[in-house]
Amino acid sequence: MRSGLILVPLLFVSLITRLPVHSSFAQSPENGPPPVIESQPPTDDTSPTPAPAEEQTLPEPIPPKPADAVLELIELRNALRLSPDSADNRLKLAQALYNIGDLDAAIEECRMALKLESNNAKAYLQLGITQMAKQDGQAAAIALMEATMLDPGLAQAHYGLGSVQYTLGNFSAAAQSYRRALELQPSFLDARYRLALVLKLMNQHQEAVRLMEDAAIGGISQAQYFMGVAYRNGQGVDKDLSLAIRWWTKAIEFGQQRAAESLSQLRRQALSPDQPERRRTGIIEAFRQYRDGLWADYPDMARKDPNESLGAALLKDNPGAKGVTVLLAEAYALGEAAHDELVGLYETGLDTRLSQFDKRILACFATTAADGFIPAKKALARMYGKGLGITPDLQKAKAMLKGLPKQEMQGILDEIAGR
Amino acid sequence: MFSVSRLWRQFLGSTWLQACAMGLFATALAFVLWAAAPTTFTGLDWAAYDLWLTNRTAIPISPSLLIVTRDPASEKEFGAGPWDRAVLARLLTSAHESGSLVIGLDYRLDHASPAQLGGATSDALLIEAMATAGPIVLVQSPDTTLASDATIPSHLLVTTHVDRVTRAVPLTANGDRQSSQAFGISLYQLFQQQASPRTPLLSEDATDSLLVNYVGDGTINALPTIPISSVWTAIEHHDRDQLTEWFKNKVVVFLPNHIGGEHWLLPTGQTVSSSVVHLHVLNMLLTGNRLSQLNQPSRTLITLLLACLVAWLLLRFRGTISLLLAGKAIATYGVFVFLGLAVADLALPLAMPLTTALSVLVAATVWSHLTGHQRLMLVEQDMLRLQQEAAAIREALILRETRTETLQEDLAAARTFISHSTGQQEELSKSADDLRSQLADAQAQENEARRKLEGLEHQLHSLRAATTEPRVFSDGELVRLRDECRQLDIMTQDSSLLRLYRDLKRGAKSPLTVLVLGEPGTGKELFARAVHRLSPRTGKTFIAVNMAAISPELFESELFGHTRGSFTGATTDRRGYFELANHGTIFLDEIGDLRLDHQSKLLRVLQERTFYRVGATTPTTVDVRIVAATNRDLQRGVSEGWFREDLYFRLSGLVFRLPPLRERTGDVPILADIFLTDIAGQMGKPVPKLSNEALRSLVEQEWKGNVREFRHCLEQAIALNDGPLLTKESLRLGSTSPTPSGRAKHTQILPDPASDAAVLNCLRQHNFDMQSAAKMLRWDRSTVTQRLKGLCFQALVEADGDQGKAALAIAGDPSHLRTVELKLMDYHDHLLSVIQPFATANEALLDCKRRFKNLPDRHFASVETLVRKYFRQERPASLGLRKGS
Repeated sequence: MRSGLILVPLLFVSLITRLPVHSSFAQSPENGPPPVIESQPPTDDTSPTPAPAEEQTLPEPIPPKPADAVLELIELRNALRLSPDSADNRLKLAQALYNIGDLDAAIEECRMALKLESNNAKAYLQLGITQMAKQDGQAAAIALMEATMLDPGLAQAHYGLGSVQYTLGNFSAAAQSYRRALELQPSFLDARYRLALVLKLMNQHQEAVRLMEDAAIGGISQAQYFMGVAYRNGQGVDKDLSLAIRWWTKAIEFGQQRAAESLSQLRRQALSPDQPERRRTGIIEAFRQYRDGLWADYPDMARKDPNESLGAALLKDNPGAKGVTVLLAEAYALGEAAHDELVGLYETGLDTRLSQFDKRILACFATTAADGFIPAKKALARMYGKGLGITPDLQKAKAMLKGLPKQEMQGILDEIAGR
Repeated sequence: MFSVSRLWRQFLGSTWLQACAMGLFATALAFVLWAAAPTTFTGLDWAAYDLWLTNRTAIPISPSLLIVTRDPASEKEFGAGPWDRAVLARLLTSAHESGSLVIGLDYRLDHASPAQLGGATSDALLIEAMATAGPIVLVQSPDTTLASDATIPSHLLVTTHVDRVTRAVPLTANGDRQSSQAFGISLYQLFQQQASPRTPLLSEDATDSLLVNYVGDGTINALPTIPISSVWTAIEHHDRDQLTEWFKNKVVVFLPNHIGGEHWLLPTGQTVSSSVVHLHVLNMLLTGNRLSQLNQPSRTLITLLLACLVAWLLLRFRGTISLLLAGKAIATYGVFVFLGLAVADLALPLAMPLTTALSVLVAATVWSHLTGHQRLMLVEQDMLRLQQEAAAIREALILRETRTETLQEDLAAARTFISHSTGQQEELSKSADDLRSQLADAQAQENEARRKLEGLEHQLHSLRAATTEPRVFSDGELVRLRDECRQLDIMTQDSSLLRLYRDLKRGAKSPLTVLVLGEPGTGKELFARAVHRLSPRTGKTFIAVNMAAISPELFESELFGHTRGSFTGATTDRRGYFELANHGTIFLDEIGDLRLDHQSKLLRVLQERTFYRVGATTPTTVDVRIVAATNRDLQRGVSEGWFREDLYFRLSGLVFRLPPLRERTGDVPILADIFLTDIAGQMGKPVPKLSNEALRSLVEQEWKGNVREFRHCLEQAIALNDGPLLTKESLRLGSTSPTPSGRAKHTQILPDPASDAAVLNCLRQHNFDMQSAAKMLRWDRSTVTQRLKGLCFQALVEADGDQGKAALAIAGDPSHLRTVELKLMDYHDHLLSVIQPFATANEALLDCKRRFKNLPDRHFASVETLVRKYFRQERPASLGLRKGS
């Protein structure tokens, strides 16, 4: 029993560290075992949830080093040779084999462990997970069911069973399994997110949004993206574009490319002359509301002027706060004051907090200019024309100014020429 | 039974009916053949379409169509198996953002994504993307796991014909829960809604599948495609201009599945997946190059119509011309098939019509061979019926004519009377009016009858022409028939006689009674013997009986035999001719001369094949084939009452009319050669030669006694001539033929107008038809009538009141007897009606003089005699005339 207690954290820790996690939705599959769990479940109810943000924001998960894996395998095999009748050792070996992708050998080891200890729920769980990876849904379902019967309190087995049921197309059974896992571990964020997704696909939007919001607050970037979508489309919640922008911005912070695209699309719709006027003003108003909403996060900050940028105010008054991040968020949300502030910061830099010609600011300008934001276009034209932090390119500068009134264009071109 | 035979007659008479029946039969046969070899027939049926598709100039490619296909580079990026649905979601969103009008996705939502491919997250992303990108045409799958309101389910089924070639797609497919439209059609309809919402949607017609108008070779390469990898690169680099250029206002179809798997054979010989077929459907609809095809009933109808037309052509025009016309019809249809495709984009059926047309070609030939004989018999029956009708109408005409004349006379009398008594003018004028209207009536009826007669005669004439329509004999057949005839002592090379012989040969094999008609000396007995020799009874007895030569008293004894002691002189049992001819053939010559009571006795034998010997109590049954012959017109005999109608019909099983020698002058030289050799041999003289002039005069001679007279003429010439050459003079043809031939009747010299004999002769020549006789004599018709009336009265007086005798005297020929008798009776009755009201003969005569003022004076004497005789006998009921027999 003690060995079992040790095994569980070991198992999950290995899962967290070794499994690649999809930070982007449309990503080419990697070699090695496919991902099964997107965030780690808490090891027990009392321990605080480790912040998943660090894991999620990693652009590329570090693949397991083959050398380490080989060493670990040799160690485990040696241990097994010393005590061949130890089911725990066999399970560890099975897990190691699973991690390097030798699924058949892993299944074999699980079976051996089960022969030694036929009522070992963990062995069934490992067998189920390995068989899921082998895309043998039916066998995985049977193994996981066995695990849940032997140990009804094994949340991970319920979670796995939910995933298998989903893959097999039994949505309601999947939802039930996820619910059971959540009952056992209310802080199991991934199960919450999964359950929300299944409910969403079953068109039970109300409950789905509720669960999704929990997952999003918990820091699952996909959930944040879907929250944005839900607010944009009014699925299960009242339509609120400013909240959609808020969720997407949050997701972008966690590296959610999809959210960036959605936000970019929204900006284009706000700035495109092709769109109906009502819609445009609606979206622009939503961006404004979002920017106003940011002030609420800093209740001690007093706003002097309705157009004042929160980021600028923070930089001025509260050096410890994330002034630059807020400024960028405001600029992405078409905040002109924040934008002007950023133009200045780009050229000068800000003591230790911001270097000159900061790449983030350039990327922000490039994105919003591509979406049709005229201040960004002008700023970018000036940067290209003057070669601020980038190679001077007059053609590009002129291309940026295309579509602007002639006078303004001439003014900027004169400014570039007269440097 | 009667109605069946009538229907059969109707059927044989109508070319259209036969053509329709043949068309139906051929169509049914074609269906059977199709069922037997469906692959071959289907291939043939679509041969024109296949040929056209591969050889025409390709249809344009729609500028609104863009296909994004999976390519090796994208497989390298996203894997070789199924892809993460997030990829698809991103592609769809990009296409939508770049302004695509309609998006189609060859993809099924039939499973949940496994964890390796993004799991529920990717599924949710795809559903989200679909909802954002508007209605997307998807492929419906029977077990849809994921549901989205923003998709239009469609099917990717194709219609593969029996020959395994894919030429069409079904419009709709019925799934478990709902029916879905074809992928290409759904896309097109969505495009129409987006591009111009007011245009009507694709009209649903009777067909349940849509024929595909493939571009080029029908593969994906013929359509505008870009690889997914290029699109992905553009998306990754945010190259919005490029994306807009690709997708703006386009129908974008994504093919994210691995190209391969199911393979459908196209008419162009390529194999493609079903989605490619649907893309060609989409292009066809977008470029407005829709092909139409007919539904099954229309195809069958076309087949039937063509078959009927070909059958009609073959039946209506016989011989080579019919084959040419039928070939033309078939070729024209073939041209229509190609024109239909090239001009009207319509695929017409080919195999069925061609098969039916060819079946009809064979069937029509067989049919005309099978029914030729029956048709001939029907035509002969029609002729007979028409002749009877003509005779009846002729009779009616005579009565009308006479009535007209009588009324004219009455009118004249009334006019005279009016002029004499002005006091009664009003009344009389009224009666004159009545008479005039009656006259007009009678004239109208007469005209009607005359018109009818003409019509019937015309019909009869055309029927005769039809029966005598020369059939083409091959030379070989001619020679063979001539040789067969020669073996039967029938010397001829005349094709009509040979044809008659051929028919006789066919008919001889049946047990039907044969009636041989023909002028004296045309060889009736020779043909009767031929019937016997050609029949299965050739080994049995042939008995020839001349009916005219049997004495009336011994008729029964001779024909049926007698038992001993049945009458004085019957010392032994005697077998009659019928018994002698048992199992053989009996030839009843001169059957037209048989007395009426004997006719009825003979009829019984013919009907039942049994008779009683004279004095016998038990019937005798015989099996005898009867051949009868006569030179008299039995039909006329039937209409005039001297020949029993039932006997006539009993005898006329097969009727053969032997042509007279003057109608087959071609035989004269042959007969002359044979007879000269024969006669000279008999007389022990060297065989003389005929001079050219003599031969010509022999040919031109009318030969009323036919071959018999001809032979006598030659016998006489050889007997009286010793020289080696027979000249025209030595033939002593004399003045028997005042004209070169009897055919030129219209050039006859007009008879002396004054001579009653001439008038009578003229009337006899024209069958006592007043109008034609008047035309011939160039007289007024009433003049001719008055002459005949006078002659009739004269004959009555001469015959001492015996109408029969008088009628015979006027008619001259028994064939006219009935006509004359009718006229005579009518004249006489009228005379009686005129004189009846008067008290004395003189008063009556006075009135008669007024009435019959146009009657020649010499004939009025006869009237006077008749009137006086009437009053002398104190006006008995019928003038005391004896009725003629």
